[in-house]
Amino acid sequence: MLVSFNYHNRNSLIEKIDPRARWIYSILILFAITLFWDIRFLLFFLALNLGQYYLARLTWKETRRAWGFIFFIMSMMVIVNTLITSAGTIREVMQGGHPIVAISIPIFGWSLDFTLTIERLWFALTQVVRILAISALFLVIPFTMDPRQYGATFRGLGLPDRLAYSLDLAFRFVPTLGRDFQLTLDAQRARGYEVEKLDGGLFAQIRKMAPLVVPVTMNAILSGEDITNAMDLRCFGLHRRTWIEQLKYRRLDYFVIGMGALLLVASIVLKILGDGDFWLPPALLS
Amino acid sequence: MEKKSLWAFGTREVVYSAIGAALYAVLSVATNFLQIPAAANVSIRPAVAIPMFFGVAFGPWVGLLTGLVGNVISDLISGYGFWPWWDLGNGLMGSIPGLIYLSIKNFRSGGDILKAEIMVVVGAAVGMFVASLSEIWVSGIDFATSMATNFTPAFVSNIVNGLILVPILMVAYAAIQGRSGR
Repeated sequence: MLVSFNYHNRNSLIEKIDPRARWIYSILILFAITLFWDIRFLLFFLALNLGQYYLARLTWKETRRAWGFIFFIMSMMVIVNTLITSAGTIREVMQGGHPIVAISIPIFGWSLDFTLTIERLWFALTQVVRILAISALFLVIPFTMDPRQYGATFRGLGLPDRLAYSLDLAFRFVPTLGRDFQLTLDAQRARGYEVEKLDGGLFAQIRKMAPLVVPVTMNAILSGEDITNAMDLRCFGLHRRTWIEQLKYRRLDYFVIGMGALLLVASIVLKILGDGDFWLPPALLS
Repeated sequence: MEKKSLWAFGTREVVYSAIGAALYAVLSVATNFLQIPAAANVSIRPAVAIPMFFGVAFGPWVGLLTGLVGNVISDLISGYGFWPWWDLGNGLMGSIPGLIYLSIKNFRSGGDILKAEIMVVVGAAVGMFVASLSEIWVSGIDFATSMATNFTPAFVSNIVNGLILVPILMVAYAAIQGRSGR
């Protein structure tokens, strides 16, 4: 099977929390994290989110690929931001500062000056902690949230019935379309289509994906008409829907939402009081 | 049945949003799995044509949900986590081509295909720009970095895939429109 979800029951504490509470908590924490550029606060959030990661009982084997992807994107962004484009998000960090290395590269008459400062390196480190904290927060979700609950979850969060049902339906179509894709791939291979050996330039290669993409898409669209008719015949959308998966807030869920709200409020208060901006340990400069 | 208003969201839209999203997710994941060698830093991710085409064929809501939900599901399947601002960017990429949904009369005609192609470029530009801007806010990179590492690769790869595959899908759709009786 080419396409399958990563969720399986792990009996972890995180899974006992209502998915709605977890979404609310995650969004609140995201906003709290983005308020800060002080590495001390960011390390607190990183620890908090790694705590959730630990409680979710995720293994390295499952998440290795995702971490690899995050590290790749993150290194690219941080390296380009620190070394190449010299502006920076926080102006005073990037201008002036205490140089470690100064390089001057002559290019056809004029020279490219570049100075690596302690401030810049520390800012890069802060950035890494911040991106890792946010990644750890959201990485947990695909592994610990039951795909069958998404529709009911978002209905519970206030989305209209039709949107929530559409979401639910999308999750249900995934295995079917995965099978359709595999069938089409096999059928085209039997006719001599070699997807592993697409030749020609980039444009030709993309065009040669059409024998795979077009039949799957058109079949799905045709079956969509039948599904629409079937749903219309059963009077879809006339009344409020009920959901098989019932969600109920319990004490733990209120605690989780409360904790998220408290952390965000505390963060906003700290920010107003003037804490949380870029912080450089004074010891580094002496 | 005649075409409805631009922003209607009835049973048909519910079903096609779901189909589009699932299709976008499945094709993204499945073609990743095939490990097609990429040329010039532009990966062959033909699936990005799906939200654009669904926008053009079924309207802005369907395009939005196809891109947004499809990206959520494909990240879930790949285990990449949850990235709200990239999901939104993908949604816009499908929704903006959907704005011309009512003006498309014949999916086979050159003029209509050209209109769709222009909207594909606009949609990819706006969608990826919004996602890249959010990356400035979240990751704290500066504008130039975001444009170089986030926007440009995503935008170029999406328009190349979209410009080639959307017309192919439109012509194929014209052929089945009669069969579906709409």
